[in-house]
Amino acid sequence: MSKKILVTLYRNEVAPRFDLASEVLLVTVDAEGRETKRQELVLAHSSADDLCDLILDREVSVVITGGMEEEHYHYLRWKRLVVLDSVAGLAEDALARYLAGRLESGDILFSLHKSVAVPVADGAVDTEGGGHA
Amino acid sequence: MENTVAMHADLEPFAGLAAAGLDRADLLRVLRELPFGVAVVDRERRTLFLNAVLERLTGFTSAEVAGVPCRHVLRGSFCLHHCPRLDGSKAGACAEASCAAESREGTLINRHRRKVPVRLTSVPVLDQGGALLCTLDVIEDLSALKELEGRLTRTAGPGAIVGRCSAMEHLLRILPAVAQSDATVLLTGESGTGKDLLAEALHRASPRARESFVRVNATPMPEALLDVELFGQASAGEGGQSRPGKFQLAQNGTLYLSEIADMPLAQQGRLLRLLDEKAVVPAGGERPMRLNVRVVAATGRDPEALVAAGLLRQDLFHRLNAVRLHLPPMRERGEDVQFLLTHFLGIYATKFRKQVLGFSEEALSLLSGYDYPGNVRELRNMVEYAVMVCAGELVLPEHLPPQVRFPRVPEATGSPAMKPAAARKQPARKKA
Repeated sequence: MSKKILVTLYRNEVAPRFDLASEVLLVTVDAEGRETKRQELVLAHSSADDLCDLILDREVSVVITGGMEEEHYHYLRWKRLVVLDSVAGLAEDALARYLAGRLESGDILFSLHKSVAVPVADGAVDTEGGGHA
Repeated sequence: MENTVAMHADLEPFAGLAAAGLDRADLLRVLRELPFGVAVVDRERRTLFLNAVLERLTGFTSAEVAGVPCRHVLRGSFCLHHCPRLDGSKAGACAEASCAAESREGTLINRHRRKVPVRLTSVPVLDQGGALLCTLDVIEDLSALKELEGRLTRTAGPGAIVGRCSAMEHLLRILPAVAQSDATVLLTGESGTGKDLLAEALHRASPRARESFVRVNATPMPEALLDVELFGQASAGEGGQSRPGKFQLAQNGTLYLSEIADMPLAQQGRLLRLLDEKAVVPAGGERPMRLNVRVVAATGRDPEALVAAGLLRQDLFHRLNAVRLHLPPMRERGEDVQFLLTHFLGIYATKFRKQVLGFSEEALSLLSGYDYPGNVRELRNMVEYAVMVCAGELVLPEHLPPQVRFPRVPEATGSPAMKPAAARKQPARKKA
């Protein structure tokens, strides 16, 4: 059985905000997860409500997006959609990761740099931390 | 990570800061403790550091977003289409126009799916050669302020602009859109109609609201002095002190010229160049100083007549006239008189802690028939006086100022438009 995945777009990235997305990528995959159809839609204007309507009209099953307000998140969840929000990264990376079964809400897919810790208290030392891509 | 400040390991911008004599650890320690959100962002708009307040506001920690484009961290409404730094940062070196601190109001959506009203002030950090090292994005949470604003607008004070006549309704309807634009505005209207209030309201409702609102009254003074007053003075040689002019004081804010026609033509010419070039050369100086100031000008006279009389430069008039807002005189705001009387009565009764509930029929008839040549200012002062002297629950005719109770009959040759209505209605009284 095929399903439709919608990724909100900002250039080639997942749009940082659902309500400000002006383009979306709509990908249909078959039961084996192979891509069968791909469309990029340009929206007339940015609106979270209109985007929710489009998602339901197009019978989308999965939404991949960036920051999203609670009411829209819960509305789509209530409509039994899979919503993966707060995703930061390139749209193709997010899609590939979802199809591989490894995408979760809140994932940051940009290649992160090592971070260092700067002491704020006497005696503390620099320590290395890291990202999680 | 509790006692540490995590930041991007690629410290090139901070190496630049160190070269400028700033200690990185100290700097970050200070930034971390500031009571408002701060993000340090590199030239490519990648996040280097978030302070504690911003970590709480966004829900992200500094470590987990090190190197992530800031639009995915701040997720502000200003990030995608109105980013103040995007173009300048791409260029690497900071173009002068893109290097001034800029403020934007908008919202962010945090990791907890909450939309928060915020103000972003983006401050570029430059090296000694003027190249952009990084940007400090200062984020203020406006939630409490917005809630307070909502409550305050419901209970307008004496300084609020109110009105129900069609002309005022139109004005109040377009005011927010005009305020949000950065266009130069020309305010026209007779004395007392509220031009100063309108200018302040424009500033308060604009993205420049947190910056200065500087009022300039170009009263007659020697041109050289006025030049310094307006455009500042460059330091005269070593040890000489420079002096900022009104335009420099209004940097990033709004400058309000209360009577444009009072400004000598020479200064009008300088103002025109300033509006075109967004730069000014202070008196005695050679180097132009870049300015980011919104100009709101006003006149109590007919601007076209001023141009015809040679008191206002035509080219300046066309430049200022980008948006023109006209405040109608009180005599053209018929249905507003009773509304304003009640409005100010409530305000002054509260202020003076009096139990004044309204106007008697006779007092209302006198007040409604008066022409208010001093416009809203005169009406407001009359109500203030009446409430002050009223000892009961109703304002009676004897509580009104003499000019309402005993209006003068104008000369026969007087302008009919300016003739007090009360006088027209009660000629017998005066004759008696």
